[in-house]
Amino acid sequence: MLKDITLGQYFPGDTVVHRLDPRTKLLLVIVYIVALFQAGGWVGYALVLAATVAAMALGRIRPKNIYNGLKPMLLIIALTAVLNIFYTNGTPVRPGWPITWEGIARAVQMVLRIVLLITGTFLLTYTTSPMALTDGLEKLLNPLKKLHVPVHEMTMMMSMALRFIPTLIEETDKIMSAQKARGADFETGNLVERAKALLPILVPLFVSAFRRADELAVAMESRCYHGGEGRTRMKQMSMERRDAVALTLGALLLIAVIALRHFGL
Amino acid sequence: MSALIRFEKVSFSYPGDEDESLHEIDLEIEEGSFVAVLGHNGSGKSTLAKHTNAVLTPTEGRVYVGGIDTRDEDRLLDIRRQVGMVFQNPDNQIVSNVVEDDVAFAPENLGVPTAEIRERVDSALRLVGMYEYRKHAPHLLSGGQKQRVAIAGVIAMQPRIIVLDEPTAMLDPQGRREVIATVTRLCRENGMTVLLITHHMEECIGADRLVVMSNGRIVADGSPETVFSQVELMEREGLTVPETTRLLYELNREGFSLPLDRLTTESCAEAIVSALK
Repeated sequence: MLKDITLGQYFPGDTVVHRLDPRTKLLLVIVYIVALFQAGGWVGYALVLAATVAAMALGRIRPKNIYNGLKPMLLIIALTAVLNIFYTNGTPVRPGWPITWEGIARAVQMVLRIVLLITGTFLLTYTTSPMALTDGLEKLLNPLKKLHVPVHEMTMMMSMALRFIPTLIEETDKIMSAQKARGADFETGNLVERAKALLPILVPLFVSAFRRADELAVAMESRCYHGGEGRTRMKQMSMERRDAVALTLGALLLIAVIALRHFGL
Repeated sequence: MSALIRFEKVSFSYPGDEDESLHEIDLEIEEGSFVAVLGHNGSGKSTLAKHTNAVLTPTEGRVYVGGIDTRDEDRLLDIRRQVGMVFQNPDNQIVSNVVEDDVAFAPENLGVPTAEIRERVDSALRLVGMYEYRKHAPHLLSGGQKQRVAIAGVIAMQPRIIVLDEPTAMLDPQGRREVIATVTRLCRENGMTVLLITHHMEECIGADRLVVMSNGRIVADGSPETVFSQVELMEREGLTVPETTRLLYELNREGFSLPLDRLTTESCAEAIVSALK
């Protein structure tokens, strides 16, 4: 059951989107999010939606994978929709009804905004290996090293965390099975009872995570890890023409959305 | 020929522990040899392994790696780049989500130029037979495959010796065979020096030299044939001997006088046949 978690998952592939420089993709996601929040009217949203669908098609990401990632967010999305439908002033759908046309329009836009926001970030993690992602982030944040920000250490921690997600999920599954075999009950009871039932899972999980961390540190040191100083990379990042094209398209999208907003579209 | 790794009267106790984990160990590892260290849990064999790359340093005595004293902290990298260490749990030593990126980790740390890293990674993966899996995610591999990736990860560092600290303890029989075959091949065909720490008697048979440890001391040291021939000693330490030696030993107790140093089925059979003639 825990295997369904898609957070931070990467689907290896060899499409244009996969081959883009991770830095390009990180910048594009930022541009994309700004554009999404600048979209004021239907045309603006349609444009962002079209861009998303195009990126999905280019990266060969199936809608099913996006939907699986969205699942944990469904409640929040539904809640947002309901609140917007009922709490927006305007012309009622029928006289006396609390639902307004404006409310429906607003709800649809809000839902679209959340879904697109999540889809955009998923596109990044689905098409970029965690290592490439953290490498890209390190390169992007490189100027901060001058201000003595421990950029390398931060990105290294991030990549280790991502590396160990599957391992720890597997471990959690194992511990849960072991506890279930001894009569533990995780599925019934109210929220407090269920939270309490999780405690016997968390304790061994933490203990083993610390032991792993210790062993990993020794293993890394044994392989001559001594911080970011003097480190080289096997995979050099290089900005290609496709990166320039992608960034230009991203900039155009942002400009178009802002321009449309001015015309109230 | 000078020893690659030299232990001189090494004693070690963990902080807060009164008992010594290692007691006045003298040991020399020659370049190009395949040395196995056999012992039970708590015999000090893993502690011994951790002394070979300065993860631990002796409380008393000295350890020299390629002539460098392991207590010299300024030369830590010079020591560690010579000693590739593979650990028990394959999951806890793989640092990347992609096999080839993991193998590249050590050379990257050493600041090897990009093009050379690529070459080292590819040749290391070919050596352990994992080249086809270079783009795979390590957590989807079997235990034996993961451990071979870990071995490739240290080969890419181009060390002078590979130290394997119970590399098969968490593997199934199939994975164990894979790993031992890989290690043996690296030594025989590529001239790599190997120090294998294990508690599986069968894994020591192919070694050039077998060191048996108990309670922090070396209790036997020699070729696997001579060490296993000391059946009483091995039994006293609670260790098993190969079935061939066992058979010859039991026959001797019934009045035969057979040589005990026969570790393969064929040589054992020959010994019995020639005795019956």
